[in-house]
Amino acid sequence: MARGADCSGGRSGLNAELQEPVIEVDGLRKRYGDVVAVDGIGFAVRRGEIFGLLGPNGAGKTTTVEILEGLRKPDAGTVRVLGIDAARAPERIKERIGVQLQTVSLYPFLTVTEVLDLFRSFYRHSMPTAWLLEAVELGERRDAQTRHLSGGQRQRLSVALALVNDPELVFLDEPTTGMDPQARRSLWSLVQRLREQGTTVLLTTHYMEEAEQLCDRVAVMDHGHVLELGTVDELVSRRFRERAVHFETLPELDLRELGDLAGVKRAVVEDGQTVLYTADVGATIGALLARTEALGLEPRNLGIRRATLEDVFLDLTGHALRE
Amino acid sequence: MNALLTLTIANIRSFTRDRTALFWTFAFPVIFVLLFGAIFSGGGSTRYAVGWVDQDGTAASAELRQAFAQITLLRLHDGSLAASLDAMRQGNLQAVVVVPHGYGAAIARSAQVIAGRTSGAAAPGGSPAPGASATPGGGAVHAGLVAPSLAPAAVELQVYTDPSQQSSSATIRQIVSQVVSSLDLALTGRPPALGVSDRTLQSQRLTNAAFLVPGILGMALMQLGVFAAVPLVAQREKLILKRLNATPLPRWTLVGSNVVLRLLIGLVQTVLLLGIGSVVFGVTVLGAPWLMALVVILGALTFTSIGYVVASFARTEESANGIVQVVQFPMMFLSGVFFPIEIMPAVLRPVAAVLPLTYLGDALRQVMVGGSAYAPLPLDLGILAAWLVVCLGIAARFFRWE
Ligand SMILES: Nc1ncnc2c1ncn2[C@@H]1O[C@H](COP(=O)(O)OP(=O)(O)OP(=O)(O)O)[C@@H](O)[C@H]1O
Ligand SMILES: [Mg+2]
Repeated sequence: MARGADCSGGRSGLNAELQEPVIEVDGLRKRYGDVVAVDGIGFAVRRGEIFGLLGPNGAGKTTTVEILEGLRKPDAGTVRVLGIDAARAPERIKERIGVQLQTVSLYPFLTVTEVLDLFRSFYRHSMPTAWLLEAVELGERRDAQTRHLSGGQRQRLSVALALVNDPELVFLDEPTTGMDPQARRSLWSLVQRLREQGTTVLLTTHYMEEAEQLCDRVAVMDHGHVLELGTVDELVSRRFRERAVHFETLPELDLRELGDLAGVKRAVVEDGQTVLYTADVGATIGALLARTEALGLEPRNLGIRRATLEDVFLDLTGHALRE
Repeated sequence: MNALLTLTIANIRSFTRDRTALFWTFAFPVIFVLLFGAIFSGGGSTRYAVGWVDQDGTAASAELRQAFAQITLLRLHDGSLAASLDAMRQGNLQAVVVVPHGYGAAIARSAQVIAGRTSGAAAPGGSPAPGASATPGGGAVHAGLVAPSLAPAAVELQVYTDPSQQSSSATIRQIVSQVVSSLDLALTGRPPALGVSDRTLQSQRLTNAAFLVPGILGMALMQLGVFAAVPLVAQREKLILKRLNATPLPRWTLVGSNVVLRLLIGLVQTVLLLGIGSVVFGVTVLGAPWLMALVVILGALTFTSIGYVVASFARTEESANGIVQVVQFPMMFLSGVFFPIEIMPAVLRPVAAVLPLTYLGDALRQVMVGGSAYAPLPLDLGILAAWLVVCLGIAARFFRWE
């Protein structure tokens, strides 16, 4: 499990490589007949981050990811993965990346363990089967043939296959589609564990919550273009300046006593919570704490809410991500 | 290497756990052999009723009759030509052999020639050196079989057979030519070596089953190879090939493991069919085992490469299945697997002459039961190899992994 000091032969100039992005895309184009799937996009993914590609159906996410995996050839532009030209020398990256395709494809008549062991034999270095089973919580189904697995279980096995070689860089194309909430959460914690070990993850998703929970940075795609790129916070605050500071007190404060606090534009009570809409969260919270202290009260469940990624999405693409 | 092994094991597991595929691969040829063997009355226990028309009436012709009478498979019925042909039309005789007038004189002549050539080492009993002309009922086809040592004008034995009784006719003609060539061998002056007469005896028992078993083995190997297209296209359609392509697994390993699987299946089929052939029909392999193995492996490889060509052009599993049927079904019937090519309609014979299964069937028949050759064995193998090379070229050019 120890990454860092492991395999990945020939990592010369470690420092230089740590600076260098793990993925660099520039001017990437791909068309199928007269459908332009990817229309000149560029972005970079840093080592150790979880990078999300968001976008509605047909946005070009899968096309982009599969070009990065060396599975499809771009029409134009450059793609460097782990410092290697993925279009020219895909063979050189395969040992070092983990791939989960959007469409799960497994040998139907092999058991979970057999499929894992099969894929392990393709790599010079591989994780123990028991670890992989545990990572995606498939231990109980280890001897089931894959054709007898449920959709979510197949999806989990597919994720496990992406981790077989303890890769430096993992591509997950809609990894949690079809998973129940519990399985989804456990996958999120798995991805977070991967990041703690220094693994870089590029994932696509349709779930806003997933992107908000997991991704260090996201790129929003539509019609083959990257519309917006940055941390979730950046994306939201770029479009929605006001935030909501919410809290509860006993007894309830009179709203009139709050309207004049620094930065506050509006004050309302929603479901027993007092909500202050503000352009300056820091000033508002400072003033609020001073005011409540003066009144001998203690605000409980104090929190800051902002517009969500979902709002950004609607704003950018004009339609909701999930129907 | 490790990947090749695990992938091959994975393929074997996938194959053996898929009961339907398993059934068709192994039960189908077996059922075929048993069914066809039974229909064409094979079994080796039947005796053929053959009319014997002696128009010569010499000591030599009587001697020839004796040689034929010794063959347990034949029951000779003497009679005039007209009466015998009548009996054959009524189905009481399966063939009629005519010893023409002048037979004895011709034998005597050629014995002198031979005696001159081999300094007096005359053949015991002055055995004849006839040719046999097989004349099917229609009488147009003249499949003359002339012994090589016959320089002077030979007399031809005429064999009338019924074209509607294809397999028994083929067998009888086979037997007649065997007897003729063994007599001819005796005439060349060499003492009848034990080994030679042993082989002759085996060949004399060339029954329907002996004709069919190698043919059906060829058919099984052909199907095994051509049908390789279907799981391959299914794996591509299910994106398994794409997923494998995302791993460092070299493509030759992927192809190699599929080929190894096909060869293993071919081996099992061969053993199975040879077992049935020997236990049920008494057909044993005469040729050297290594030669047999060579023919089986080359055949399996050639047809697997055809399977890859099909997989190169089929997009879906269904279309692969369809194309496979279009390829294998006519080949099965146009390659002389179930009956000799000589009795096929003349228009179809050129088709048979280019089909690879013709040559696999012919090679197997020659190696297994010493059957009469359609083409010399090296030519059979050469044509199979040529098909293999061409198909590999096409597949390498057009095969898509996704
Ligand atoms: N192999 C292909 N042949 C033709 N068109 C394709 C092919 N693959 C993708 N496309 C088209 O390219 C566009 C982008 O597809 P892509 O699969 O990259 O979208 P996506 O963002 O992954 O969508 P989704 O969220 O539905 O998975 C779509 O319009 C799609 O129809
Ligand atoms: Mg997609």
